[in-house]
Amino acid sequence: MELTGDSSEGFDVNLEADPTSFLGQHPLTAVPSRASRDAAPVKEGLVGFALRPSLRTKLIAAFLVIEMLLVSVGVIGLLSLREADQRANQVVALQHKIEAYRQVQHDTLRQLHGVSAALALPNETTLAGALRQINQFGYDLDRVAFVAKDEVALLDQVRKEYARFTAVASHAIDLIRNGRAAEAKQSELAELGPLADKLERLTNQLVNRAEADMVAGIDASRQTYARSQMLVAAVALASFVLTLVLGHAISRSVIDPVRILHDGLNRIAAGDFTQRIEVPNRDELGELAAHVNSTCEELEQLYRSLEEASRHKSQFLANMSHELRTPLNAILGFSELLLDGIYGDPPEKMRSAVVRIQRNGKHLLGLINDVLDLSKIEAGQLRLSLADYSVEEMVNGVYTSVESLAAEKKLGLRIAVPPRLPPARGDERRLAQALFNLVGNAIKFTDAGEVRIEVEAEGDSYKFSVRDTGPGIDEADQAKIFQEFQQVDNSITKVKGGAGLGLAIAKRIVEMHGGRIWIESRLGQGAEFSFMVPARLERQAT
Amino acid sequence: MRSKRVLVVEDQEDNRQILRDLLANAGYEMIEAQNGEEALLAAQTQSPDLILMDIQLPVLDGYEATRRIKAQSDLRHIPIIVVTSYALSGDEEKARAAGCDAYVAKPYSAKKLLETINLYLT
Repeated sequence: MELTGDSSEGFDVNLEADPTSFLGQHPLTAVPSRASRDAAPVKEGLVGFALRPSLRTKLIAAFLVIEMLLVSVGVIGLLSLREADQRANQVVALQHKIEAYRQVQHDTLRQLHGVSAALALPNETTLAGALRQINQFGYDLDRVAFVAKDEVALLDQVRKEYARFTAVASHAIDLIRNGRAAEAKQSELAELGPLADKLERLTNQLVNRAEADMVAGIDASRQTYARSQMLVAAVALASFVLTLVLGHAISRSVIDPVRILHDGLNRIAAGDFTQRIEVPNRDELGELAAHVNSTCEELEQLYRSLEEASRHKSQFLANMSHELRTPLNAILGFSELLLDGIYGDPPEKMRSAVVRIQRNGKHLLGLINDVLDLSKIEAGQLRLSLADYSVEEMVNGVYTSVESLAAEKKLGLRIAVPPRLPPARGDERRLAQALFNLVGNAIKFTDAGEVRIEVEAEGDSYKFSVRDTGPGIDEADQAKIFQEFQQVDNSITKVKGGAGLGLAIAKRIVEMHGGRIWIESRLGQGAEFSFMVPARLERQAT
Repeated sequence: MRSKRVLVVEDQEDNRQILRDLLANAGYEMIEAQNGEEALLAAQTQSPDLILMDIQLPVLDGYEATRRIKAQSDLRHIPIIVVTSYALSGDEEKARAAGCDAYVAKPYSAKKLLETINLYLT
């Protein structure tokens, strides 16, 4: 049979070496096209989408999506951080501005104070102090100009007003130096006072504006923070949901077909080759299902051919045994007529020869029947015919048929059946055959002592045991003896002969009754074979 | 009184010889048929007192021959003992269904067979 060659040629997809599979365009034409597969309705939606590309593509896509979500969360975080940093810088700049404006205000007041002090007490110290104040002011203005580049118009005005203020203040000091204090006082009252007020107003305006800006900035950064918090939370939630959905879709697209495959394989294992596995996937699992289906088809063919071969074998055995038995029947028939004296009384020597012919013929017939029985059981052709029977009568029947064998070997043969057993149900003829095989073996292998047949009722079962005083069987051999054509390989069995089918047949019969058979023995101490079958069997076990 | 006639339907010559010897020794007259059709003809023309019918026969098997004989009202009274091989399970049921009166499995003991025949002919 060319099974393996056929299957591998029809299906040469190398997943690892195929570069297109990564792109989700797996060459589906490489899969043996199967009507059931193509006709399988592809589910719509996300799950449906998850069915087409290869598993690798699906997994990589899912990880990429999750990765993208992580990166976007990171980017959003970085952007928020940058904005917060900018806001913080703005606030710091505004604070510097405010500080500088306040310095301007402070210095203006001090100048005014210095000029007033110089007017009140005009000497070199107060005058030098006032002048130092005026010089200091240029530095303050530069600083303001540096930190508040955006307030050009107001600053220009401040600078203009201040230039006037310094000019007036310097003039007032010059007047004081020249001893014209009254004039200076006049100038101070008339010009310096209002100028200082105006400067204060202007700087106040600047401070107010900067403070308002700062409050707005702090507010804005607070809003930005809240917004980015919301954004991160939303993206995190979205990625959580997306991951769940993706995971669900992919795992369903993996788990469902795996479950279907599992069930299909179970069916195949149970011997049902008729059904095909149908998964909607067109990925590696779809290919696996196609593989399983083609393997199943081949198994089905193989199974059918095996079944047919088995049928042929059984038919052959049935025919052969009939052909073998026909001449054997003639041999046994004529032997019996000879021994019955139909052809006249045979001389003693001839009688003894005919007895041997008859005995060997019967032995041969027994062997042929055993082979036939076993082959029928193996082929499942032997059906039990279940009926009520009396255990006592069954055991007595076996006793009667082996009585003479035991007597020939001068062995004791005893039976122990409990009185008044309720009627049993089973295949009486087959159970008698099993018991007969056990008793026959016991008599065959026992040279002195006795063979004892015992029946016990145990719960819903009957236990039949056959105990002998023969050579016993060691443990290693006990495991093999129930297999066909297995005999304990020692000189005793070689002398005794037999095909080794009796125990195998007994075991099959007992098992068909749903029972079990076993042996307890020690070398040199006899053996006890037992089997237990249900007292009332309503349906054949297997 | 004429001796009782037994129709033996059997395709194997050696088996027929055994029965010839057995039946002659027991004082029966034996007529022979080698297949089902011959058996039908012999049953109609030779008025046997008992039929010993083998199952595996050429041309027409023993079941069918039994059925046809039992279907004829003038032949129905003739007892038919069916002889089957032990090999094929369900033979006894089939033989009973075909309408036989008794059933003997091969290999039969000559003594037992004679006992069964005597049961119907005395």
